[in-house]
Amino acid sequence: MEIAELQAGQLTIVEVKGRIDSSTANVFGERLTGLIKAGRSRVVVDLKHIIYISSAGFRALLIARRLAEETNGTLALCSLSAEVQRLFDLAAFTDLFVIYPSREEGLTKLS
Amino acid sequence: MQAGFDLGSMKGAGPPSKVMLVIQNRIAEMQKVVELVEQFGAAHGVPQAVTNDLNQSLDELLNNTISYGYEDQRSHDIIISLLHTKHQLIAEIQDDGKIFDPRKTNPAIPSSPLQSRKIGGLGLHFVKSLMDDLRYTRVGQRNTTTIMKNLQEGT
Repeated sequence: MEIAELQAGQLTIVEVKGRIDSSTANVFGERLTGLIKAGRSRVVVDLKHIIYISSAGFRALLIARRLAEETNGTLALCSLSAEVQRLFDLAAFTDLFVIYPSREEGLTKLS
Repeated sequence: MQAGFDLGSMKGAGPPSKVMLVIQNRIAEMQKVVELVEQFGAAHGVPQAVTNDLNQSLDELLNNTISYGYEDQRSHDIIISLLHTKHQLIAEIQDDGKIFDPRKTNPAIPSSPLQSRKIGGLGLHFVKSLMDDLRYTRVGQRNTTTIMKNLQEGT
């Protein structure tokens, strides 16, 4: 898994590539919670290049999403492939997150 | 330690229909399984979506075994076998952990709101949803868990 960060004004985009699984979920989660704790109040996680996300990855997302809510921040997602969307639907996670179809739309809506 | 197979030595013979890997009961060892499944799936021309589903299901099962299956602090061998047949891609996990029959769990489909949402059971929910079959036996002190994914004709 690779994680890249981009700043667009007040918005932080976290681009993740590869598998979010048992081996990588901790690093992924700590990166997200670290950003929120550092005061980045608007974060969009771009999942376009994710191969799959296991339950360990969903746990990391859930923890980060709760932290964002507790600190009046926003943690949104964008660019889910059909395969990853299927996993979100199976996990009943689709309604827990604001999910934008593309990064551009997330930028427009949150900027 | 057996570690996959050498694709370079298979010219003319075709890839083996079965491979085996032994890992230790540590999360860090699981990356070896990911790599073996990728290599095995590619060698047999298995669609990437099928390989991904198998890898995710193995991640869920192995994480359960490694995280909750042992009461001591010792190293334990976990044996992973992959089998490709005309109609199925099959993975088998053998471990000497506690008795755990994944078929007998009935993970509820989660639907609670954000603050009360729990993740427990989600992994097995994925396995049961992504795989076409899940089998389990306990022989002596060993669990054998088998997951299967059907293949379309020609894959």
